[in-house]
Formats: sequence, C-alpha cells, structure tokens
Amino acid sequence: MSVKIEVGAGGIPHNQILIYGLVGSLVLIYLTYLNTITGTQYFAFFGGLAAVVALLWGTDTIKHLCSYGLGTGVPSAGMIALGSGVVGALFGATTGILAPIVAIIVAAIIGAVAGLMANNVVRMDIPVMIVSLIELAIVGAMTVLGLAAMACGTFEFLGMITGTVVILGFAVQTYEASVIGGSIIAVIFMLGAIAIQHSFNACLGPGEQQDRTLMLAAECGFLSMIPVAIISFAFIAFLPALVALLVSVIGWIYTYVQYIALSKRDAYAWLDAKPILEPKGGA
Amino acid sequence: MEEIVFGIGITALAGALATVAGAAEDTESDIGSQGDPNSQVQLAPQMGYIHRIFNKAVAGEPPAYGLWVALGAGLAWAFMAMQINPILAIVLGSALAVFVQGVYATTAYLGRTASLAKFGQPVYIDILKSMTTVTMAHAFVAIFTTVAMCHLMISALGHPFPLPLLGLVWGIALGAAGSATGNPFYGKERQYQEQKFGAGVPISASGNIVRYAEAGQRNSLDNGFFSAKLGGPASGICFGLIVFFELWRTVVFEELNIWGPIIVGIIVILVFAIIDRYIEVWARKTFGPYTAPEEASS
Repeated sequence: MSVKIEVGAGGIPHNQILIYGLVGSLVLIYLTYLNTITGTQYFAFFGGLAAVVALLWGTDTIKHLCSYGLGTGVPSAGMIALGSGVVGALFGATTGILAPIVAIIVAAIIGAVAGLMANNVVRMDIPVMIVSLIELAIVGAMTVLGLAAMACGTFEFLGMITGTVVILGFAVQTYEASVIGGSIIAVIFMLGAIAIQHSFNACLGPGEQQDRTLMLAAECGFLSMIPVAIISFAFIAFLPALVALLVSVIGWIYTYVQYIALSKRDAYAWLDAKPILEPKGGA
Repeated sequence: MEEIVFGIGITALAGALATVAGAAEDTESDIGSQGDPNSQVQLAPQMGYIHRIFNKAVAGEPPAYGLWVALGAGLAWAFMAMQINPILAIVLGSALAVFVQGVYATTAYLGRTASLAKFGQPVYIDILKSMTTVTMAHAFVAIFTTVAMCHLMISALGHPFPLPLLGLVWGIALGAAGSATGNPFYGKERQYQEQKFGAGVPISASGNIVRYAEAGQRNSLDNGFFSAKLGGPASGICFGLIVFFELWRTVVFEELNIWGPIIVGIIVILVFAIIDRYIEVWARKTFGPYTAPEEASS
C-alpha cells in the first residue's frame, strides 16, 4: 500500500494547520460558555464556528493520510473520525466546564487505539496512520461537541439530555425532547462525517490545490451549521437561534462564492452548453 | 386481531413508500454517477475520453443517504417539536435536506472536474444547471417517502426509536439497496456498452464509457431516463421488500412469541438465499459464458 495518489504540493504546512485548528476550535467552543456566564443563549453559534475550524484541520489531515493510496478510503476516514469523536465528546460533556479538554484527551486515546489496531493488527503499515487517527478523532470530538453546543446552547451533558415541552401551557422538562433523547446527535454525527470527508473527496486529483480544498471544507462546515441552526429553534430562544442561522447563512454564501471562483481559476475551461472538446490527437 | 390488520395495512403502506423511495434513489444516484459507476466516469478524462456526464462524488450512496434522510428526519423532528403539523414538518425537513444535497452535488462536480484540468476536462456549467435540479427532485422524493415511512413506523406501529435515528438507519439501508441493486443495471447495461456484449471491461478499455448518444452527445439525463426504466424499479422492489418483510414479521408474529419475528426473519433470509442461488444457476446455464459468435453459414 505505498501507491501515492496525487495531491497538490505546497501551501500551508500541515503542522501549522494542526495548531490553528486545535487552539482555534478549543477557544471557540469555550466562547459558548459565555452563555452560562451571562445567562443568555446568544453565543451558541460559536459552537458551529468551532466545528468549522475543526473541519478545516480535519480536511488537511485526511489529505495527509489519504495521500497513501486510500482513494476509496476517504469517506471511511470521515466515519472513523466522527465515530471515535462522538464517544470522546459525550464522555467529555459529563465533566462540566472541563468538557472540551476531556473530550480531546479521550478522543486522542480512542484514536491512538484505532491507529494501533489499523497498523499492527490489520497491518496497513501506513506511517502517519496513528497520528492521523488521533487527529481525526479529536476533530470528530470537537465537531460533535461544537455542533451539539450550537443546537442546545451548552456543551454540558445536562443541557443535552433535557428539553422542554409545552403541555397545556406548562413547560415540562423531558428527556425525549432533548438533543440526545431526540437523537439529534445522530444528525450531527452524519453532518460531521460527510462534511469532514467531502472536501478532499471532491477535490482529489492531480490538480488538487490546498486553498480550494480548504475553502470547500469551510463551505461544508457552514453548510452543516445551517440545518443545526434551524434545529436549534426547537431548543433555544428565537432570537439566539436566528443569530446562529444568519451567521451560518452569511458564512456559507461567502465560502460558496469563493469556492466557485477558485474552481473557475483551476478548471481547464469553463464552458456553458458547449460540445465535448476532444483532446488533440484523438482519444 | 384488529390491531394486526391495522398493522398489516401500515406495513403495506410503508412498503409502498419504500418502493417509491428506492426507485427515486437509484435514478438520482445514477444521474449523478454516484456509487460504483463513479470510478469509470472519474477515470475517463485521464484516459483521454472527455465527457459530459455529471460526476457528483459525495460519498458512497449509503453514507450519503444516511445523511440526507437523517437530516430530513432531524429537521422534521425539530419542526414537530415546534408544534408544526407532521405532514408539513416532513415536507419542510425534506426540502431543507435536499438543499444540502444539491449544494454537495455542485461542489463535488466542480471540485472533481477542476482537479482534472491536466487532462483537458472542462467544467460544463450547463450540466450543473440542468442536472443538479433533476437530482434534487429525485432526492426529494426519496427523502420525503423514507422520512414519511419512518414517521409511520413511530406513530402507527409504536417503534421506540426517535425519528432522526430511524431516519439514519433506514437512510443507510436505502442507499445500500440502491447501490447494490440499481447500479449494476446502469453500469453494465448503459455505461460500458462501448465494449462488445459479454466481453467485460478489460483494463485497456477502462474509462471508455459511452459518451455519444444515438444523435448528439450523451449527458446524465439520458442515463436517468434509462435508470428510471430498469434499475430504479428494481431498487424500488428491493427496498420495498426489505421494509415490508421487516415490518410484517414483527407485526404478525410478535403476538405469538417474542422469538417469533427473529425465527421468521431467519426463514425469510434462507428462502431468499435459495431463490437467489436458483436464479444465478439458471442465468449461468441459459446465457452461459461468452463464446465467439458462430460464422454465418448460407
């Protein structure tokens, strides 16, 4: 398994993205704690931004890992990232204010075990496997924790398992109407799993460019924020959810337009309703 | 007794919804060359065959449909939690999920095609304009019917799972049914017909997909037309049967014994394995391995 699939060279070094991604997502996720401090819910959208930053980092990690000839393994990398991450995130969430840090530690341990299994038991023997799976598990944990915090306004477990239902004018607290009880966490899992693998899966090939792939990663992140913002109307007050929706839509439109411009830059030609251009000399 | 009759009615309705979902899902994914037809569409420009086929590689069909249906179900669940009528909630949830699907489809096509610039494959922007909407329409039918089916299971049959989780499970099953049943029809009967029938696809012919139609150039809408005729209904029957048998065994046999549905499930699997084996052997005997055509005498 040492066939290299071609990816673009150059760009920002991976380690730099790793540090920005880790620190950025941690800081942004802690900004949602302002909700608890100030007693409002307006800071919920920072959870979504943490997920966007984490997805940027995760995309670059997948590119790094999948350059070892894992063409069809790109979507699977997304699945294992979020699969390990969701365990770390939910375990971390039970620890109160330490949640993001504990989530990172637990996810790193799960990722390391998965990496050791892949390299030593399944014998895939990919040099960056262990490090990459640790990174991916942390990215998955931050994505789940970020989007869940965006949906219910807090990254604490109690907030994720209690929701309010209005019965005959009385607000009643139930488990069924919560982020975890209503399995919104399953939607977040899939949103993250597809978003983390899509950018590299969509842009792979000899003409891959790092800025285009990362712009697509940000686009996927903001796109995932939109449905979470809509779902959050069921959990948090109207205005905070509206703020979250506006932030996601504006971020999505900006990154989508930028991505189309970058695709236009890299494309061989940009044609509208034109016939097949046969290559010179024929096929 | 009345409860069982009611349950069987719901089972039949869920099976019918699943049949529509399967047909729409396969047509959608074939128009977008998702799943296994994707490898040849992706390879074609590298072998010098420039084409006008939509190449929307989001992920394999099961994970992709896992997301679309779970998302539709999650949004519908949230709308229902906001006291919106279930029918309207499912329509709105499916519409928003389709919006996400459409955006993923466009970014996948642009990304893959732009990365193939070295081989001279241009981005045909009219493909995006005309085909994304068609895939979105088919995806809407698939998502709406599947979410409606999940809602029926919960509200009428009393399934204990919340709607988004059931959506995730059945979405993955839907994608798997379409991927396993419908794609071979499209791939072998349509995409690789540049080769002689029965010749297989040798390495040297990789990427030599059908690019020209009877008149003019072929695009993915023609493939959708083909899929809607054969692969789509086949996938629909497959997914419909899966849903029908799954619910039927529980509704009918749970009253008798808690182990009843499990035993019936194993029997159903065995019966289908025998039928499949019989069809395979019959097809091999009837159509046989590829032989050189006999010279025309007289």
